[in-house]
Amino acid sequence: MCNSTMLKQEFLKKWIKGLHIYNNLNKCITISDRKKAIKLSADVAIASTRKATTHWSKALMDDVVSRDGNNIILVQQILGGGQNAEKNNSGLITCSKRILRKSHNNIIACRKARRRVVPRCVKSSSIARKLVKNKTRMLKSLVPGGQKMDGNCLIKETLDYIVSLRVQVDVMRRLANAAERFDP
Amino acid sequence: MGFGFDEIHGPISGPPETDSNSFTALLELPPPQAVELLIKEDFPAKPMPPPIFPSNIALIDRASKFSIYASPDNSPDSTAILPASSSMKLDLVKQEPLESDSHPNSSSPAVSNQSSKSGKRKEREKKVKESNKKSKKVAANEASELSGEKLPYVHVRARRGQATDSHSLAERARREKINARMKLLQELVPGCNKISGTAMVLDEIINHVQALQRQVEFLSMRLAAVNPRIDFNLDAVFAAESGSSIDNSYLGMFDPSIWPEGQINGSRQQLYQQPLHFDGLHQPSWGREDDTSNFISPEDSLLSYDSPPNSASLQSSKLKMEL
Repeated sequence: MCNSTMLKQEFLKKWIKGLHIYNNLNKCITISDRKKAIKLSADVAIASTRKATTHWSKALMDDVVSRDGNNIILVQQILGGGQNAEKNNSGLITCSKRILRKSHNNIIACRKARRRVVPRCVKSSSIARKLVKNKTRMLKSLVPGGQKMDGNCLIKETLDYIVSLRVQVDVMRRLANAAERFDP
Repeated sequence: MGFGFDEIHGPISGPPETDSNSFTALLELPPPQAVELLIKEDFPAKPMPPPIFPSNIALIDRASKFSIYASPDNSPDSTAILPASSSMKLDLVKQEPLESDSHPNSSSPAVSNQSSKSGKRKEREKKVKESNKKSKKVAANEASELSGEKLPYVHVRARRGQATDSHSLAERARREKINARMKLLQELVPGCNKISGTAMVLDEIINHVQALQRQVEFLSMRLAAVNPRIDFNLDAVFAAESGSSIDNSYLGMFDPSIWPEGQINGSRQQLYQQPLHFDGLHQPSWGREDDTSNFISPEDSLLSYDSPPNSASLQSSKLKMEL
């Protein structure tokens, strides 16, 4: 109970700080700009609460950094890590690209091999396995950095990701409610 | 397939789940604690409160009680156990050479060798010892986890009719790990407890994650549409990062140019409402707000932020100036 409160406070602090920094960097005039700013700083803030101990937070940071070069400043300031953050991020990006390329090649090879084999009998277990495989593929696409995780790691990361998402939604909802009540 | 397991552990008093595996001991805890546990186990860098195994003491007591092998004390316990027909002799004998090096108790191979000379009574005692060993293993696992080390091996007992080579053992350990984590996920996601089957549970999890992500999108859209000036003057807030001075700095934020602060403070009130009672670490500077802000709806909280009425009216007048 106390821990989630601390988490929420930390997230709120980092989020507003990031918003402030982002505003100084890029002027936000349209609603979509503001929305992008808000969401971006919220994502960076919630990822930084894990301090890069989980895969999804690292992947999220990488995503933010790769989207726009200016964001590196944002990430660095929030993380407080300085140059180290940038180096880790770029290393992760190249590493993950290599892994993705290799896995992509494997997938293509498997697909080619599978096309030659025509399934004769359809067992319920194979259907179940296919279902589970499809669902895990979908889950991997949802969780940031999920493509390079195996089943066990994926479930662990999903657990952590769901908890962090809940914190994020909770704080954002409270802020939005308070803001709307103040100025309807 | 696991009936051998269940029959032995059915009548044993105490939490049945904790006998099988140290990971299923996590199921005894409520989900957030369990999540913390998982995180702590894998990421020791993160500062977390130490996990508490509620069943640990019971397990250790039981293990210590049973550690007197083949003693008369065991006979009342052995009669309490169902005379299951499963004879795990072969499994036992095969298992011992695999596990004897990793088992912390050195007397167990000797005991199991003795029990391999059959006799129905000895078979019963063996079952007791088997459950002893299992509970001992779990206790050893938990003890070592509590001491902060990461246990490299997961001890798995072969069940009746299952292969006993190392590959399938490792495979089974892996599967049990995954199943334990899936159960945790099931408890975390609302509405998943009643569903059985991996595919459906995964479906629910996917829906939940998608819903949360969509909520983040909508909320950021709402916040973007709220007011044209996202002009938070937060230098006062972040001038000093320590807890007590943040509270004071919130009070110091009340000047005409920063009326959006009211929004943040409003949400802060909501954030602090519940934990103010439970969190004994709160600084005394919050004491004033304690009386007025607890269990107050958001609209009241904005105006009643300061308990002295004159400052409240002052604040509202300042806010009106901005509008």
